[in-house]
Amino acid sequence: MLQAEAILYDGKSSVPQNIIVFLDKYKHALSFQTTKDAKNEWHIKDIVFETLDTGLQLQYQGTDAVQIIKISDTDFINKIKVFRKENGHENWYEKLINSGFKTHVLLALLIFTLIGLTYVYVIPWFGEKAVVIIPESYDNTLGSSFVEQSLLFSEVDSAKTKSLNAFANELQLNNTKPLHFIYVNEDVVNAFALPDGTIVVYSGIVNKMEDYDELVALLGHESAHVNSRHAMKMLCRNLSGYIFISAILGDTNGVMAVIGDNVNSLQSLSFSRKFEEEADLKGLEIVTKNNVDPNGMSNLFKRLQSNGKMTIPQFLSSHPMTEERIKYINMLNKGKKHKIQENVKLKTLFQELKE
Amino acid sequence: MEDLLPKKMTYNLDFKGKGGDFFGIVIVNWLLTIVTLGIYYPWAKAKTLQFFCGKTSLNNDPFAFHGTGNEMFKGFIKAIILFFGLFAIMGIFIYLKLPFVGMLLFYLGIFAVLPLAIHGSYRYRMSRTSWRGIRFGYRGDKQEFVKLFFKWFLLTIVTFGIYGSWFHINMRKYVFSNIRFGDAEFEYDGDGGDYFMMNLKGYLLTLVTLGIYSFWWQKDIFEYFVNNLSLHKEGKSVELTSTATGGDFAGLILTNLLLIIFTLGFGYAWAVTRTMKFIFDHIKVDGNIDLDSLQQTEENFKDATGDDVSDFLDIDFIV
Repeated sequence: MLQAEAILYDGKSSVPQNIIVFLDKYKHALSFQTTKDAKNEWHIKDIVFETLDTGLQLQYQGTDAVQIIKISDTDFINKIKVFRKENGHENWYEKLINSGFKTHVLLALLIFTLIGLTYVYVIPWFGEKAVVIIPESYDNTLGSSFVEQSLLFSEVDSAKTKSLNAFANELQLNNTKPLHFIYVNEDVVNAFALPDGTIVVYSGIVNKMEDYDELVALLGHESAHVNSRHAMKMLCRNLSGYIFISAILGDTNGVMAVIGDNVNSLQSLSFSRKFEEEADLKGLEIVTKNNVDPNGMSNLFKRLQSNGKMTIPQFLSSHPMTEERIKYINMLNKGKKHKIQENVKLKTLFQELKE
Repeated sequence: MEDLLPKKMTYNLDFKGKGGDFFGIVIVNWLLTIVTLGIYYPWAKAKTLQFFCGKTSLNNDPFAFHGTGNEMFKGFIKAIILFFGLFAIMGIFIYLKLPFVGMLLFYLGIFAVLPLAIHGSYRYRMSRTSWRGIRFGYRGDKQEFVKLFFKWFLLTIVTFGIYGSWFHINMRKYVFSNIRFGDAEFEYDGDGGDYFMMNLKGYLLTLVTLGIYSFWWQKDIFEYFVNNLSLHKEGKSVELTSTATGGDFAGLILTNLLLIIFTLGFGYAWAVTRTMKFIFDHIKVDGNIDLDSLQQTEENFKDATGDDVSDFLDIDFIV
């Protein structure tokens, strides 16, 4: 029978006792005898094995305390290891832990990929769906508080605001909630939409336009943002992304949280691109529905392009590359025959705005 | 013949965990936690604690943590039920249009649970930790601790937080002085006033030096913890002394930071094991207790509820 010298801690005191351990291959057990008691027998399946740098440690749960045997005989240790492997005494957890560093790195990469994919595809989808739960009234609260803040230092042109609203009234904008338009005298080549249905148009962009169809395209685009609740969707996506990241990194430290935060804001930039594209397409629908020349849309993009840099409120930023937008709008217009009818009223109102 | 002078013993405290091994444990834990949609969490926690105890050794014999995932899972469920209960109470009051009463009750509930969670956590973890099969134990009295906890807390509020230092140290004193290692007893003798002055100095100098002094402050905090801790048995004792310097801490913290950043987080496991190694390498152990003579005296305690509640509340185990 296989045997080795070992040290026993009997769970009653910390006195080391010298014993001889025997491996009983038939009973699948280790046996030993102390000076006091009769023979002890530990079934291998009940023992917790741990490799130390001084040898092998066996832990056995006795009736009251844990008993420990330490073996340093390398030959005996190896034979026990082989015996356990051959007889399937290693459990699945041990197998996973002992599967080696390379496997662990691979597993880590797998987990990170999984988390990454969840973050990029599942979470935004989930966040967007969650918008349904948020009542529309919240869009209004959010929007009006933003209007108060952002227009605090802007010069609102009340006469032109009136003309702009009259212009919009002439159009079918597919809106589900009332839209109100504000005209701001500021040399900014841009416009933006807020979740409560407020659409702010700067004189900078209107002055660059040459025809009213461009303004229709712009209002169509911004109305599409409101109609599809893009602002709220963005907020939900960002928020769910943020919650996901902090839940994942919750157990690590602040440094990781900061990295995670930045990752999330980078991600949200490209989120809005998707929404801009959607608004372009829906805006185009509005343009054609109103019998306005769809070329206005690509002309509008050219105005933006000629401007070079745009200043846009943070959470509505990053439009798709202008050239790209012109390309796909032209693609959509190509070969399609739209009914174009000149609208004198729109033309007059547009001229009023340009003055 | 009896020894007239107690013989000086040699002790060797060490941490032998390798980053690669811990990495394996972290990854397997993550994998299983994800696959089981979180249910594996208590088992993962048990495995992590088992690793840290098992890799810490005293005179070449490792400590051991015997807590199991099953025990922790039971506690986990009880903790969830407890928090659900608290949320439900808050929900009812919000429904009754009394949101402030609901919030108040919720926070009072959490607050009342706090000392119980600390007590339960120590009882469980100590009872499940052993060295050479000799269990640790926590003998603090639940009612006494709860009363003291609220007394200290009230004093902290009344003094606008200044008493916080005394709160911290008194609690540490109470808890550590009730820890047993077999038939040996731990003792902690710190003083809230000293601790307050030390932190005040640390805070002010950190401000003045634009953060550089924080490493020396950290060193002071560590030293205050280690140097005041001792073990006693039959008139003999073991004293702990920190040998870490502010420079050592600066080296540790900055390297860990770089390690984590440049490996995009993968180095986390190595940062943790390096820190553990650092801690045990910088504790000098002197005394005359014969570690071969410890007797099993502490009872088994298998209820992990307190520990799991502490985990939910995100309280660090060492106070």
